[in-house]
Amino acid sequence: MAWEYYVVVMLVYLGTDLLAVWGLNLEFGVSGVANLAYIVVVAAGAYTFAVCTLGPSSGNGGFQQYIGGFTLPFPLALLAGAGAGAVVGTVIGVTGLKRLRQDYQGVAMLVVSLMVVTVVGADTGLLNGSAGLALIPNPFADLDPEVARWAYVAVVAVCCLIGFMVLRRFTTGPLGRTLRAMRDDDTAASASGKNVVGLRLLVQAVGGAFGGLSGALLAGFIGGWSPSAWAYIETLAFLSCVIVGGRGSDRGVSLGTLIIAVLLLQGVQFLPQIASSPGLSEDFGWIILGTATIAFIWFRPQGVLPERRPKYLGRASSKSAG
Amino acid sequence: MQLLLEAIGFGIATGAVIALGAVGFSVQFGISNILNITYGSLMTLAAYIGLLLIDHGVNAWAALVLGAMAVGAVSVIYHRALLAPLVRRGTRAIAMVIVTVSAGIILQYVIVAIAGPESHSYGEQSGQTLHLLGLTLSAGQVAIIGLTAALMLGLHLLLTRTTLGKAMRATSSNRTLARSCGIATDRVSDIAWFISGSLCGAAGVALAITTVSFDFSLGSLFLIPMIAAAVLGGVGQPYGAMLGGLVVGVSSEVAAAVSNPNYKDVAAFAILIIMLLVRPRGLFGAAWSSRRLMEG
Repeated sequence: MAWEYYVVVMLVYLGTDLLAVWGLNLEFGVSGVANLAYIVVVAAGAYTFAVCTLGPSSGNGGFQQYIGGFTLPFPLALLAGAGAGAVVGTVIGVTGLKRLRQDYQGVAMLVVSLMVVTVVGADTGLLNGSAGLALIPNPFADLDPEVARWAYVAVVAVCCLIGFMVLRRFTTGPLGRTLRAMRDDDTAASASGKNVVGLRLLVQAVGGAFGGLSGALLAGFIGGWSPSAWAYIETLAFLSCVIVGGRGSDRGVSLGTLIIAVLLLQGVQFLPQIASSPGLSEDFGWIILGTATIAFIWFRPQGVLPERRPKYLGRASSKSAG
Repeated sequence: MQLLLEAIGFGIATGAVIALGAVGFSVQFGISNILNITYGSLMTLAAYIGLLLIDHGVNAWAALVLGAMAVGAVSVIYHRALLAPLVRRGTRAIAMVIVTVSAGIILQYVIVAIAGPESHSYGEQSGQTLHLLGLTLSAGQVAIIGLTAALMLGLHLLLTRTTLGKAMRATSSNRTLARSCGIATDRVSDIAWFISGSLCGAAGVALAITTVSFDFSLGSLFLIPMIAAAVLGGVGQPYGAMLGGLVVGVSSEVAAAVSNPNYKDVAAFAILIIMLLVRPRGLFGAAWSSRRLMEG
């Protein structure tokens, strides 16, 4: 049934978006690493998943070229995707180690994002260039299509559940407080004996793994992945979930993801369809997304559900976010 | 050898356009301390304004001037209406970058919604080819190189020989002190945004004149070489950005000629990453600019 398929698509997208947004929030919201190249780790996960399940590139008549080419079982391919995200995230993180101004770092990462997509799109031998990879096998292809769809939703749900439990290990407790301290004042944090460089790389690796898992799940569901799926503006979609929801707050960014997903997937449906320009609703989606981000930074920089600042006896915390 | 000379000729022409853009970007950063990523989309806007004018029978060079003026005005309004109020509200630098990225995306998709996603072209504007010192250049490229040289000289004279230029440099290096000395920093900053916006517009139309065809992604793709040039010269340093533009332009065209044309932007990117890791203040970055770029 059409609506059932629609619900499945919504749930899978929501789940993969949640994983990516959690990872980005761990990097940007909790630890203050302005990773504007986040979509690159999602792409790393998706491509890794693809080459781990597609088999040798001579398959399917050899119409696509790519490196590697394995037929790993589904869970292992997902893990490989997460691992690739962690590795790429750490590599990107190295460019952020120089003690530059945060906005300068953000712009450098933005250029990294623009650049990687240009190189992967230009080099057809690496990952099939701008055409991207297609025919990524569905892990539940043997099942009845309807059951297979819901099975995929179940896999995404389990990944989200495990992901959230892992996430809380990093955003709460002593480690979470350390990361927030590093975000607010890294000089003070390192003066208190915290290894700021190590923590930054750890966060980039963990955040990268979340992005990689999200990309792997998405590639497995869609069955394809190409450079147009990870233009630098896609990072902005995740960033607006973080900003609208409330940077630094796990519950906040989860709510933000829901708001943005509903706003974009549902909001644009109400716009009249203009036959001559079918891409118009997508254009409006981006315009709405950008406007929402700017509006929140202007009116409510702390987001819908702000990060709860710890209260200590005798001294009220008054520092504002934004 | 002939290939290399041709690549260098092309590189100088590309470098001239990059320099126009990078200098404007640097002036904006110098005066307001904002890394304005909307700059790329404003270049695209200029290219489409130029297209509109040329379609109505306006000469390409007149379209360049008008496009530059229009984008200059838009830049002033953009800074006044959105960026300056946000800075006054104490928005952090990284949030400002996110705002300018968002605004750039909004502008880019407004352009797509109005003008459509297909490629456009100004038609044949380059005229006959000229041979100078072994370099082969089209008349259009020579004109753009000349225009860039004239604009850079004009900007140099403005910054060093006029009271306004001194006020701009003073505001750029210490806004509070400049205001205490009686400089109307808000007005100076408006003028700086108009000048830099006009350079952005001129670069956008010049880019559209020199490329075969363009679409809405024109400006965002041009961000890589432009930021690389600005960083190479030291962000906030107009003279550095001029030289940076030339270096990035020539090295990308030479890299494209000796290897794969698809790797044209890789040279610009390599320059950017090396500079960021080794000397983030840029080749000509003074101590003050390095203080501004480093945390704390």
